[in-house]
Amino acid sequence: MKRRQFLNYSSIVSCSSLIPACLSPQVFAEPPTDFRCLVNIFLLGGNDSFNLVVPRSEAEYNTYAESRQNLAITKDQLLPFLSDNPDGTLYGFHPSATALKNLFEEGTLSIISNVGPLIEPTTRDSYFNNDVTLPPQLFSHNDQQSQWQTLKGVSQIKTGWAGRAADILEEDLNSQTLPTNISASGNSSYLTGLTTRPYSISNHGAISYNAFRGGLEHNNQRLGSFARELTAKLENVHARALAYTHQRSIELELVLSRALSLLPALQTSFPDSVLGRQLNIIARLLAVKDEFSMRRQIFYAATGGFDTHDNQNQDQPVLFSDLSESMSAFQTALTEIGLGEQVVTFTQSDFGRTLTSNGDGTDHGWGSHQLVMGNPVVGRQIFGQMPILEIDGNDDISGGRIIPTLSADQYAATLASWFGIAHQDLTQVAPHLANFNQSNLGFLV
Amino acid sequence: MIRITLLLKILVLVTACGGGGKGNVTNETPTASIANQNSNANTQSSDSTSNSTPSPPSQGITNVEAHRFLRQASFGPTLLTIAEVKETGYSTWIDNQLTLPWTSHLDYFDSLPEPENNQQGQENRIDGWLSAAVTSEDQLRQRVAYALSQIMVVSQNGGLFEHPDGLAYYYDLLVKNAFGNYRDLLEAVTLSPAMGVYLSMLGNEKPDSERNIRPDENFAREAMQLFSIGLIQLNIDGSKKLNANGQSIPTYSQEVIEGFAHVYTGWTHGGSESFYNRSNNMRVQMQAFEELHDKNQKLLLNNVILPSNQSAEKDLQQALDNISGHPNVPTFISRRLIQRLVTANPSPKYIERVASVFVDDGSGQRGNLGAVVKAILLDQEARKPPNPETAGKVTEPVIRLINLWRAFDAVSASGRYQQNLNWHFGQGPLQAPSVFNFYSPDYSPPGELRDLSLFSPEMQIINEASSAIANNELLNSTFWHTSERINELDPERVYINIDPEIKLAEDSLLLTEAVALKLLGGNISYNLKRETISMVEKWEEPQRRVSEAIHHILTSVEFAVLP
Repeated sequence: MKRRQFLNYSSIVSCSSLIPACLSPQVFAEPPTDFRCLVNIFLLGGNDSFNLVVPRSEAEYNTYAESRQNLAITKDQLLPFLSDNPDGTLYGFHPSATALKNLFEEGTLSIISNVGPLIEPTTRDSYFNNDVTLPPQLFSHNDQQSQWQTLKGVSQIKTGWAGRAADILEEDLNSQTLPTNISASGNSSYLTGLTTRPYSISNHGAISYNAFRGGLEHNNQRLGSFARELTAKLENVHARALAYTHQRSIELELVLSRALSLLPALQTSFPDSVLGRQLNIIARLLAVKDEFSMRRQIFYAATGGFDTHDNQNQDQPVLFSDLSESMSAFQTALTEIGLGEQVVTFTQSDFGRTLTSNGDGTDHGWGSHQLVMGNPVVGRQIFGQMPILEIDGNDDISGGRIIPTLSADQYAATLASWFGIAHQDLTQVAPHLANFNQSNLGFLV
Repeated sequence: MIRITLLLKILVLVTACGGGGKGNVTNETPTASIANQNSNANTQSSDSTSNSTPSPPSQGITNVEAHRFLRQASFGPTLLTIAEVKETGYSTWIDNQLTLPWTSHLDYFDSLPEPENNQQGQENRIDGWLSAAVTSEDQLRQRVAYALSQIMVVSQNGGLFEHPDGLAYYYDLLVKNAFGNYRDLLEAVTLSPAMGVYLSMLGNEKPDSERNIRPDENFAREAMQLFSIGLIQLNIDGSKKLNANGQSIPTYSQEVIEGFAHVYTGWTHGGSESFYNRSNNMRVQMQAFEELHDKNQKLLLNNVILPSNQSAEKDLQQALDNISGHPNVPTFISRRLIQRLVTANPSPKYIERVASVFVDDGSGQRGNLGAVVKAILLDQEARKPPNPETAGKVTEPVIRLINLWRAFDAVSASGRYQQNLNWHFGQGPLQAPSVFNFYSPDYSPPGELRDLSLFSPEMQIINEASSAIANNELLNSTFWHTSERINELDPERVYINIDPEIKLAEDSLLLTEAVALKLLGGNISYNLKRETISMVEKWEEPQRRVSEAIHHILTSVEFAVLP
């Protein structure tokens, strides 16, 4: 069912503020003719990326190892790589990240170093002199997940930057018949805008309501009955929110399941992990994008286990191996379906972790390295400035919590710009962008 | 596919044109008097099951009111408990619940055959939880323990997957302390090995500058952020305290976290030979080894400084006193308990009334959780919400299933309860994805709720994917898992008992009303009733008619929202 038909249907039934089309008719702009897609992989818990990308030049490695003690990766275990923009230090990946090293070397992956939520550029001095505005609750999981996803700073905004990006492009994308923003990992603020409402899909595809399927008699009448109840005037706000979810679920499942069932199985195999399964369904959805006239899409995937307060040496190999294999499989799948040039995948995480150990793990830090992947990425480079991994060094605000040198706003703006957000609209996506010199970090073509 | 969407459009066009549909029909839920008429009708019906006849209201409590109270105060109303509440009144019913012996989850776990692996162990633990939720007498205590498990969170996701018994032991601490004192609960949770493992207090060492080791901050941080006071200072009614610049005021700094982190050093499994030679016993509280406990001064909340050279035990006791005495605690805990039991959006006054009972239960005691729970349930806002449009909450998906099972005497031949709660309903006891539980107290879904600044935590796990999965399992539970139609019962499967309803099945109105009485206390809207009757009448076979009625009401939005 085309989106415009859906909107007409909705306006007959019950025009509520839930349904954007109930507002006055829009003047429809030209939709973009190309396809671009962002895929956010959120590493829940705070990824200790200082063990994912590690300096291996002697002096820098020694500084790192001195700080990290029993949590340091042994030098000869690192997977060495060379970047196209050397900064005087050599680096290596964690031994479990072979696939990431391969992606890096083939030019499909780059490292964005030492990124984190910032309101304005921050130094150790300005931090300690209280001369700078900081995002609140820097070491609290949910606050920092929110900072990365919403870029809210000290404000109360609840929309995610991907939601706001979709809001901006909404008129241009009105011929799309699927929601622009889709989550493979449940509800998140990341994809939610003022008018943009993300759609959630399970790893197995869109789930139909068995009560309305052919398996049980009178299924059509049952559907009609349920539909009438959903679209009736409901007195309670919670009921209305639930009804909206059911309605959307039913309507979108009809069209999605059909499209997915007609899709031949992908050749690429994905790891059987939380992340692997999410990226798998995202790849399948991308493969059917033309059914729905999609021009712009943003996906959200998330995987946990990164809050390595304990057993870091045992857990990190598993975490990095999964991240590495899953990302690599996804890129392979994109190539298989011919979308390698059109999709950018990128990581985010609550924060990095402390250089210091608590015995067998690390605590909540701040700046951390992120990964960007895809053919549009200027690959094989390390963007930004690698921090000095020294406890009480110039980049440390205490306990080995490193001040970011790039802001999450700049990171988001670079991605959003490639995605199609006009320069003058970028501050709507990244509210603090004007506080930083570089509004585009240059890691996308 | 096209056929169905066309059907939706046609249905909608027909009703919108006022062709005998929505335009002429009110969608109001019946008032209490209509509900009374329903209940009176039932007493005159030919229903032969004596227990199912509601007795005349005592204490002036109607079926609808008793039913609604029990949806808040138990895992689901039954005809028996409805009668109890009507007989004794709310207050006495609660008092009785406070005195009942508590049902242990660990005992149930231990009574089962030894699990073959961790997965089975966790299933056994869930079995015990379901058994308690469905059958136990101490319903209010179990319901409050479940609420507490969503505030002071540990989870099988992570290191505790291997320790189902440790999780059951932890849950029993919540059950035991549910009506006790908050300070005791906090200490029990703090010293439990499950929490010790989950938030890394167990094995936490004093600083060692040579190895660049400083104490783990995990428990220190989350115990304050999530179990006691939260991130910002609150007034007693839940509003934020503001400084001279109109900004909120943090409750603690990084230094304070480090202070507490140093308090929580030197602790490991109870019964260990030494700090490094652990007993690994998950069923006994942790013990301290002084050599690994930090002996320096420690900065705590409200500028309290613990002196140096105190024992681990003394530091701990004083630290927990410091936390539990913080002015935020009454409000923080009260609001969360209200959200789990009654409404997602308590008014500031409601929060204040309950928090005041936390501060002083009337006899001078602070932190009396039993008194707090009673205050929550007896409050006028819980008994008669002022604004139906914004009142209430979305019933937790798991609780909807338990509501069904209790209302229809669900049981399996083996006596076991097996159900993949987390997969089907997106949640399950001690199965949260993180210490932040399944949903945040401050979650507000985009759209109308967010625009009105209203919270609806449960909506955080309800989306297009999970809503279909949950409804599918409720379909299974009502159409396929009834015992009456099956020749060979699966001894491990839980079946609902629809015998009483089958006797009414011929009369679609009586059947619908009987099911509405069980699931909604009789408080069913005209529209839902009409739709249910219409669907029931499509079937001839009695079992199908009954399943249809139960399924239709159970999966309705009307049922899902607790008013």
